[in-house]
Amino acid sequence: MIQKSVVLRCDPARAFGLFTENAGEWWPADRRHTDDVESTIHMQSSGRFFERASDGTEIELGVVRVFEPPERLVLDWYPGTGPANATRVDVRFEAVEHGTLVSVTHDAGAATAETFARNAAAYSRSWDSVLACFLVTSTLP
Amino acid sequence: MNALDALGNPVRREILTELRRSPMAVGTLAQRFSVSRPAISRHLRVLQDAGLVTTEERGTQNVYAVRVQGFRAVRAYIDSFWDVALSRLEALAEE
Repeated sequence: MIQKSVVLRCDPARAFGLFTENAGEWWPADRRHTDDVESTIHMQSSGRFFERASDGTEIELGVVRVFEPPERLVLDWYPGTGPANATRVDVRFEAVEHGTLVSVTHDAGAATAETFARNAAAYSRSWDSVLACFLVTSTLP
Repeated sequence: MNALDALGNPVRREILTELRRSPMAVGTLAQRFSVSRPAISRHLRVLQDAGLVTTEERGTQNVYAVRVQGFRAVRAYIDSFWDVALSRLEALAEE
């Protein structure tokens, strides 16, 4: 499990907005999945989570599972792979003095962990399977 | 070869998946693949050089197992994604 946090100097509503509506601006340039380093990235209340290049090409990056502004965002995360290899990103936005604490937890997710335990072979064909494998392993005592 | 490059090959990922279920000798492992035993041995050597598997002599056989510590590079990949992402987000909030 990976946990990261940062305090933003704005209120939770703006923090949530920056995270979800301006994702293309904070997403690392070298981790794009289209050929466009200035692609836009969208996390929508409808459930869509995707990248759009300036030529209109769209690539699904996952699914928005929970969209609760300004407090919580949960994503099935599968950039570069597909739904069978999703990991889980859980983001909390909490008002603190002078700003908003944004906490990101990235792990295999309960569903992935269970599925992995049931059928490890199903996870054998992609890069993210190894990640899922590792994340599950790393949560063991 | 580093861990991320070693993981770039689908056969090696399958080998790791098998070894995660249980440690095993190269012969046992090779029976589960359509590639030749020498090819499996070569893949195991790459995985071992990358620190992703360990080997232990048991009788006349070498038994291979997943080395969890070796996956630090994989973790680092995700870790650095969020380090960069959150620092960019922080800068964005300052604008």
